[in-house]
Amino acid sequence: MKVGRRLAVLLAAVAVTALALIGARANAAPAHKGSAKATTVRIWTDQDRKSSVTKVANTWAAKTGANVDIVVKAFPPTQDLSKVTAATAPDVVLAPHDTTGALAADGLVQQIFLSKAVKKQLPAWVLRSFSYGGKLYGVPTQIENVGLVVNTKLAKVPKTWAQLEREALAFKRKSSDNLGIAVQQGSGGDAYHMYPFFSGLCGYIFQQSKSGALNPHKIGVANPKFLKNASLVDKWNREGLINSKVTSGTAQTAFLGQKAAFWITGPWNSDTLKKSGLSFRIIQVPKIKCASVPFLGVQGFAVTKFASDHGVSSLAKDFVVNYLTKPSAQLDLSQASGRYPANTVAGKQVHDSVLAQFGRAGAGGVPMPNIPEMASVWGDLGGAWVNATKGSGATPARTAFITAARNIAAKIG
Amino acid sequence: MSTSAVTSPAPSRLTAASSAARSLPSRAIAFFSGPVGLGVKVTLLALMNALSVWALVVLVDHKKWPAVAVLVAVTALLDLIYLSARRAIPAKFLVPGTVFLVAFQIIPVIYTVQVAFTNYSTGHILTKPQAVTQVLQNAFEPSANGRTFTMAPAKDSSGHLALLLVDQDTGKTYVGAASGLKPLPTSAVTKNSDGDITAATGYTIPTGPSRLSLADALNTFFVPAGKSQIQPQGLDSAVEVKQTLRYDRVHDRFVRISDGAVFRDNGRGSFVSDGGEAIEPGWKTGIGFSNFGQMIHDSQVRGPFLRVFLWTVIFATLTVVFSFSLGLFLAITLNKPGMRFRTFYRSILVIPYALPGFLSLLVWQGLLNDDFGVVNRNILHTHVPWLFDANWARVAVILVSTWLTTPYFFLVSMGALQSIPAELNEAALVDGAGPWQNFRKVTLPLLLVAVAPLMIASFAFNFNNFGNIYLLTGGGPNTSDGSVAGATDILISYTYKLAFVVGKGQNYGLASAIGILIFFIVAAISAASFWRTKALENLA
Repeated sequence: MKVGRRLAVLLAAVAVTALALIGARANAAPAHKGSAKATTVRIWTDQDRKSSVTKVANTWAAKTGANVDIVVKAFPPTQDLSKVTAATAPDVVLAPHDTTGALAADGLVQQIFLSKAVKKQLPAWVLRSFSYGGKLYGVPTQIENVGLVVNTKLAKVPKTWAQLEREALAFKRKSSDNLGIAVQQGSGGDAYHMYPFFSGLCGYIFQQSKSGALNPHKIGVANPKFLKNASLVDKWNREGLINSKVTSGTAQTAFLGQKAAFWITGPWNSDTLKKSGLSFRIIQVPKIKCASVPFLGVQGFAVTKFASDHGVSSLAKDFVVNYLTKPSAQLDLSQASGRYPANTVAGKQVHDSVLAQFGRAGAGGVPMPNIPEMASVWGDLGGAWVNATKGSGATPARTAFITAARNIAAKIG
Repeated sequence: MSTSAVTSPAPSRLTAASSAARSLPSRAIAFFSGPVGLGVKVTLLALMNALSVWALVVLVDHKKWPAVAVLVAVTALLDLIYLSARRAIPAKFLVPGTVFLVAFQIIPVIYTVQVAFTNYSTGHILTKPQAVTQVLQNAFEPSANGRTFTMAPAKDSSGHLALLLVDQDTGKTYVGAASGLKPLPTSAVTKNSDGDITAATGYTIPTGPSRLSLADALNTFFVPAGKSQIQPQGLDSAVEVKQTLRYDRVHDRFVRISDGAVFRDNGRGSFVSDGGEAIEPGWKTGIGFSNFGQMIHDSQVRGPFLRVFLWTVIFATLTVVFSFSLGLFLAITLNKPGMRFRTFYRSILVIPYALPGFLSLLVWQGLLNDDFGVVNRNILHTHVPWLFDANWARVAVILVSTWLTTPYFFLVSMGALQSIPAELNEAALVDGAGPWQNFRKVTLPLLLVAVAPLMIASFAFNFNNFGNIYLLTGGGPNTSDGSVAGATDILISYTYKLAFVVGKGQNYGLASAIGILIFFIVAAISAASFWRTKALENLA
């Protein structure tokens, strides 16, 4: 009896085992294909862009005869790139541009070159987003940036900074609940949303060499020109034009509830704006002392080091360099994810008026620095702005930004 | 016995409970002893074996021989234990726990310790051979003339790969082969409206699938052109580029072609020139005690350490003390028999514990906003800068943590209170003790025997309560000492910042090293506390 039982156990175990073996072989088989002629390009994207990437990739695949394998990852897909095994690694990856420096420093992406014909359609300030150390590591496809949303029922669309200031303060004085300009900050700060004001006062983050490379040891957070203008921040704080206690929630509620005539936000709120029923216009913040340009967040695609390991680097490069740069592909990606296309020819064909307005509000914008040292900047830069605009008890902007610059330098080391 | 006082009422209730349930476990045992049990056993064991075999195939595939040996040994051992009849019965019960202990405790600890001795960080994640390959692959720049071409890959009359090229500036046509670049008379080429070459005399331009078959050859193909080379970019375009670095395999070093600068292996995972310039990427390698050394040398790490440590202790202690006191108070209040709606009150009180913590924390962040939050605006009618002032932020963090932890202590106190026999309090009452004395001398000591270990556990948990800090204040507000650590940063959130928001952003090696240090701190405090509770037990 006992022997019989044990035998039964063993036999069953072996049977299942054998089945598993066969299954495992079948699963392991495709991985060996790399040694023969590989024709499958694996692309990592996020859920939002899955359908548009699939569409664009399939069109390319039909043209070249290659196969594509679309894998959905949490945004940003690049974060998994350093942990992946070669067998499951992607050949092409959707990348937010600010990870470029880290990816290149890690050695996970391949250098690419664009032909002159393509470069004509991609503005230099957008291409800079995927450049690191003077080399290009990705193709920009979509741009996002904040703009100044103006409720045209409550205020006139300002042409100059003085006009904006006057309009905003006049509206604020009408009720104690009203905000001047709704700029989301909160106790932790939000350097991304306050950047148009920072750049408008001639602040910048890293100095740029002639080749376009950013120097992490030349920090412009407290550059002399900015410091000369810094007292304006103190003035805005006194007037209540800008208040760092406004969070993303309060800013949105205030604008939608008509308690704010001006709101700094980006295309991720396009739908909210369209559904709000308000009449609005989106513009770039008028020039203060320098051009008040926003930060640009650029999304694009990069060819990974694994494409070489898989023997498909020429195919992967073909998709990224020759196909994703085309106006048609860029327009497809733009429409599906509600972001402005990087390609200027495609940009002219954007019909969605909200998106087009956001696109124009980003003209001449500064791509968020993509060098890994930027990690040391966010907290202190945002913190300095919060300290200078937190109402009563605020630190003078000059002091706050000098401290921030010193801290950032110490962190970068 | 010291503990008899607490456990004495338990047996009576236990027997009452088990007599009702006696049949259930025994029935369950009987149920699983039969063919059902055998079936379950066979299935589970077979699944485990199948999983092992699958893992084996994968591991052999990747030539991980030590892992293969471990896998075979462990699988054989597990089979032996569960297939042998009676001899291994204790092992049958101990093995699952041990397996999970190894998988979820021991292996991560070993991994953390390992990482602490490496330079694993941004720019140091590949192996050295991978890094060398990668450096070479990315060591190109556009050549001085900056020519770019529209390209059509083709085959010449003898079947060799050749690139038909059109210079995008001049419109001149060329043919590029492994031997070099030759002009191609425009008359020999047919172009379409886009300017792409569609036919050329003497060459066949494959289309469709046969074009795809050239892709593999294009991976490594280039056309030499003097000091530079023409590199295909995909299947449609090509760029003239110049190599910038050369790898000297014999001396294991890189040489920059433009100025002859030499980059040598610095033993810390990078090729570095005499001038201190490093080539990216570097690679992951052991660096001994450097990360531990950095904790002492680096003023960014060392500077605020003491301040952060003290605040961590204060935060964890006050959270536990406040939430225990409040929880106990509520438990005693609601323990009063005959109170109406007792169950209702109890359920209400447990809500903070039942809600997902991250949700309550974000809600609290909104409530405490000092201009727009409900607390200031509608309740206090003041402008307390809850999240913007260092000290108020500390108060806020303790307040919210207490709010989150109190239900836990309310629950355990309530349980512990019910296990204290009423006779003891009655006896004290007869002896003339007042309610306060009764609580101080009888209830509290007996309660602490049961609750003190939980308080220590809660302390250790709050000591590393990353979520509360990170979600409520993000460690902020910034302090004026210019360090990474904000006013409310505790050791673990401070470690996170050191590892992820300083320098190049990701420094796993340093984070692991500090993690080990924190482990020793928590272990020491816990050990000391447990040692103290032993004294408490003796007292009782």
